[in-house]
Amino acid sequence: MKTLTAKRLLLRLTVAIAFLAIVMFLCSLVGTQSISLKTVFSQASDRPGINPDYEIFVRVRLPRVILAAIVGAALACAGVVFQALLRNPLADPYILGISSGAGLGAVIAVITGLNYTLLGRSPITVLAFVGALGTVWLVWLIGQLTGKSGVTGLLLAGVVVNTFLSSLIMLLTSVAKSQQVYSTIFWLMGNMGEESFLVLWVSAGAVAAAISILYFISADLNVLSFGHEDAKSIGINVSRTRTIAFAAAAAVTAFAVSLSGLIGFVGLIVPHAVRLVSGPDHRQLIPLSAVSGAVFLVAADTFARVVVAPAQLPVGVVTAIVGGPLFLLLLLKYTHKVSWLGK
Amino acid sequence: MMNRWWLLLLLILSWLAAGFVLSRSFNTPHFNNSAADNSVNRIVSTAPNLTEILFALGLDEKITAVSSDSDYPHGTAKKQKTGTFWQPNIEAIIAAKPDLVLTLAFQQQADIAHRLNRMGYKTISVNIETVGDLFDAIETIGTAVGCNAAAKGLVSGIKERLHNVSNELSVMEKVKVLYVVQRQPLRVAGTDTFINELIEYAGGQNAIGKTIHKYPPIGAETVYASGAEVIIEPTMGQKDPGQQQQSAIRYWQKFAALPAVKNNRIYVIDGDVVARLGPRICLAVETIAHCLQPQLFENR
Repeated sequence: MKTLTAKRLLLRLTVAIAFLAIVMFLCSLVGTQSISLKTVFSQASDRPGINPDYEIFVRVRLPRVILAAIVGAALACAGVVFQALLRNPLADPYILGISSGAGLGAVIAVITGLNYTLLGRSPITVLAFVGALGTVWLVWLIGQLTGKSGVTGLLLAGVVVNTFLSSLIMLLTSVAKSQQVYSTIFWLMGNMGEESFLVLWVSAGAVAAAISILYFISADLNVLSFGHEDAKSIGINVSRTRTIAFAAAAAVTAFAVSLSGLIGFVGLIVPHAVRLVSGPDHRQLIPLSAVSGAVFLVAADTFARVVVAPAQLPVGVVTAIVGGPLFLLLLLKYTHKVSWLGK
Repeated sequence: MMNRWWLLLLLILSWLAAGFVLSRSFNTPHFNNSAADNSVNRIVSTAPNLTEILFALGLDEKITAVSSDSDYPHGTAKKQKTGTFWQPNIEAIIAAKPDLVLTLAFQQQADIAHRLNRMGYKTISVNIETVGDLFDAIETIGTAVGCNAAAKGLVSGIKERLHNVSNELSVMEKVKVLYVVQRQPLRVAGTDTFINELIEYAGGQNAIGKTIHKYPPIGAETVYASGAEVIIEPTMGQKDPGQQQQSAIRYWQKFAALPAVKNNRIYVIDGDVVARLGPRICLAVETIAHCLQPQLFENR
């Protein structure tokens, strides 16, 4: 394999981002209603009902496609980091209890029927975010108590907290009204909607910032993924790197979850797929995974929007159904075990 | 080394600042309320019972689109469809160019209303969970679309018919009913549901006492303890009541000692009529009453 130079990385990233832009544009042309671009730009719509094509394109599809890109980038990136930190290929952004914490927050919001908004965000979003961060913080604390360097304690704490909170979710849904139960289930399966300009802007900034932070420490992550002892002996401040990586990945996951519910699989398979195709160097893996995650989720969400039109599928279902086989193909191809797939 | 961290912080702050400045120039569109044109001519309904209310108010002409599961009355067949009750499709709703969107108030539906509202559409979300809610909702809708009189008439008509039915049935002895919403695991309507209200209007009594759950899952012991004299199952999606009747009779054989099973009083009724809390509520009550006091209806 050729060594990774700054120039080569920049080139690959540019190509990837251009590809993302094309995919986003194409996906925003597809939907349950057929609209024409010409009509979209023929007349701006200053009030509803004047030009439905414009409203559907500008106010429904674009925001949703952008949201999918942000969430996809966030989850894929967080997946890379958790896999490196925990030195576990099965790790995904939800492994340390974020999913169940967010889920519990969302279920509480649905069942108590809270009706306030915080900065224009619904109670579900706010409580899911708080639940996610609270849980991951708790797991981190337990992990620290069980030993500074061991990841086993952290992993076990994550799994147990996940199971515990999941059963609380089940308990609450079992006593809820049927409409509330359905709402909860849809949220848990992951769903996209369109968001306001400011929410998208702030989310994009936050996720980009987190990705930059993770990129800054990507060289340290390379060493860390070989093992903490090795990293220490080379002179890396293991606990500082770990803390930064952990905090950034957890925050970005909580953010993504509060925007769109639990979308599984992106954070697991995109990092692996990118790793298989372009190697395990985190300096490249982190930015490329972010862009690939965005492409993947934009495509999956478009699929979810149109395949059973006029209804739509929860995007979390699509990511798993499409992502699973796709990933297995990649796995077979790049491990050279199946000759007919070629290389 | 520290430089790039500061640079990042600076970038984040300026990004946020730019966002707040830019967001001011993105004004959300809205209807000009001061304009005299407050009449409603293109209504979209996102739930079957709301659709039924609109039709019952005689608004057929003004209904532009309805949810895909709105299949009553016949007029719904010709309307544009806007996705299911659980997953309304915002693109389809916008394409219908509505000037009023009517939704229910629970999460899934309130969310769609909120999103449309943000884009400037006029929306109304009504909560219909009890019979009382239904009356309030009809009047709210009536006010919104400017047909107050029709709404009041519809409400008083329903109230009168309900009153008549329950008066007639109040002289009969209360029949203990198990209203089964699901067989595996067995779940029934609890006392804190509108189904319970319907049962009481129909001269029945819920065989299950107070529970934490709205629709409690129950075990064999509770089934026997309930002493149900009648078992009612609504059709669930399945469109062949005869088939469900057969399987219900087979299923309930394991509770052969239960009065309802012993006397062969297991009924399958149209789930859509009963489960949609809408203007057909009197029909729902009469359907249930038919199961509870069949002798009363035999002579009609």
